[in-house]
Amino acid sequence: MSSPKTARRLTRLLSMLPWVIANPGATVDEVCERFDYTPRQLAADLNLVFVCGLPGYGPGDLMVAYIDDDEVVVEMADYFSSAVRLSAPEALTLLAAGMAVMSSGQAPEALKSGVGKLQRLLLPESEEALVVDIAEPELVGTLRDSAAAGQVVRLVYRALSSDATTERDIEPWTVFSTMGNWYVSAHCRLAQDERVFRVDRIQNAELTGGTFDPPAEPPPPVVSYSPGVDDVTATLRLGPAAQWITDYYPVDELSSNDDSTVVRFSASDPRVIARLLLRLGAAAELIEGEEVASAAADLKRRILTRYDAR
Amino acid sequence: MQNVIERILNLLAFLLTVDRPVSADEIRMTVAGYDQSNDEAFRRMFERDKDLLRHLGIPLDLKPTDVWEVEHGYVVPADEYALGDPGLDDEERAALWLAAQVVRIGGQAAGPDALFKLGGAPVGGAVEPLAADLGAESETLGDVFLAVSERRWVQFDYRGSRRTVAPYGLVHRRGHWYLVGPERAQIDRIKVFRVERAGELTLGERTDAFERPADFRASDAIPQAPWEAGADDLVADVVFDAELAWWARRQLTGRVEAKEGADGELRASIPVANREAFIAWMLSFDDKAEIVGPPELRAALVTRVEEGS
Repeated sequence: MSSPKTARRLTRLLSMLPWVIANPGATVDEVCERFDYTPRQLAADLNLVFVCGLPGYGPGDLMVAYIDDDEVVVEMADYFSSAVRLSAPEALTLLAAGMAVMSSGQAPEALKSGVGKLQRLLLPESEEALVVDIAEPELVGTLRDSAAAGQVVRLVYRALSSDATTERDIEPWTVFSTMGNWYVSAHCRLAQDERVFRVDRIQNAELTGGTFDPPAEPPPPVVSYSPGVDDVTATLRLGPAAQWITDYYPVDELSSNDDSTVVRFSASDPRVIARLLLRLGAAAELIEGEEVASAAADLKRRILTRYDAR
Repeated sequence: MQNVIERILNLLAFLLTVDRPVSADEIRMTVAGYDQSNDEAFRRMFERDKDLLRHLGIPLDLKPTDVWEVEHGYVVPADEYALGDPGLDDEERAALWLAAQVVRIGGQAAGPDALFKLGGAPVGGAVEPLAADLGAESETLGDVFLAVSERRWVQFDYRGSRRTVAPYGLVHRRGHWYLVGPERAQIDRIKVFRVERAGELTLGERTDAFERPADFRASDAIPQAPWEAGADDLVADVVFDAELAWWARRQLTGRVEAKEGADGELRASIPVANREAFIAWMLSFDDKAEIVGPPELRAALVTRVEEGS
């Protein structure tokens, strides 16, 4: 396979030619802006075109391409008057991106009409066949606005791990969605450190009236979990119905056969693993991890008490 | 790189105008750039170039050069090569470009290639403070999308067996991509498959190979909440304690009747089509919620908890 650079250069070249052919009189600036060329790169590409063409490769067979004064001229290249169709990944990525922004409820009119035109081109007679849904929970709008304006937000937040509800002031940086959940990354004034909060776990958010200077380069919006020294670990045997755990959580796979997978699981709080164990029922088994065992026993007792089952 | 680009431009110009299948030998003799290589060098160079063309989205078919089908040659069908004109204006192109920069698939942002093909756009400007990752890797997804748009059958391994499915639609919801459509053996029953669990996916050759029902809507196939998908038919009466009522309310969909009690607790009647998924969800509230009825569902939750190790 040739290098990605070659592929990208060819794509741009085979896209620029049809546009110039369809827009005679286009200036160097116009072409450069539209196809992200520097004038020098554009000249280099036109020089390549100039020496290519049809077999025979005489003056009447080669394409004509040059810069005249400030005008880009392409002639004798009618076979390149159409752009190349989109590859399937390109088509999907572009369409899905447009539809995702639309489903989040912030799309400008131009995006809606643009997506509509692409759908009619790429999925004729089956516009209902592709759906991208990343519906925003309430509060995403508030958080995004305060991130943009540099406003401090007071959260009432319920931690997934410990079930503790805390009130804390944050300096929101970025609001993002991944794996079906929305998150806000922020500087947390309570923890005095960078934190990522799951938006659906924020019970309430209001402006404190304070402001902050956003960092010039906020860290990339990713949810990462790196085991800390205080973490608890447990070893679990997962039956077939619990295999999905390995897709969702950062676990170490210790061994695997047709019937089960043994994994080591780390978490900041034993209750995270305990809750998962109860949820999996007979599909998973705790092999090792005392803290998790006692957290699971406690949770089990509380739930069964509530259900008058013991 | 310059040589490769010249060679590809010459090859494409030739194939787009020649209007008949051309053998590799003829390409070697005719097209500038291939002429100076020995057999082995030519073969490697030509293989690389074919890969490159396909990577760019350029269709390159192999067809018999005569009715006896003894020899085969290459064709770039001009109508398949060309991008249809969607009629985008510059404002629409710029809006699509911005969207492509904030939404990624499997961690990858779209490059500018697709936008270039669509006529380019004045890029730049402030990027919206939205960022979303739609998960999964784009290669398999691209294949599924191709099958959906061209109505081609797909085959893949899923939960231990090989399936043949008519892909009616492709849906991203709750963080996952789903392929929606019936299996060949049961064409009346629309099923839902998680794309990331489909292995060894291959596409049928034939396009327009099945009919998609006129009233098919992919969004109806995948419910908003996980417990709404399935064959069970129950209505659960549930109470959520005041402490977590806000969190429950946020996750309930429009079909649910919910009423707040005097002390802030929330009582709801929830249609359940998948009791396993519903119980899993109820357990995410620990002991701060309770299934009041029906008794069988209540008992199923208790059994699940008792079985948990």
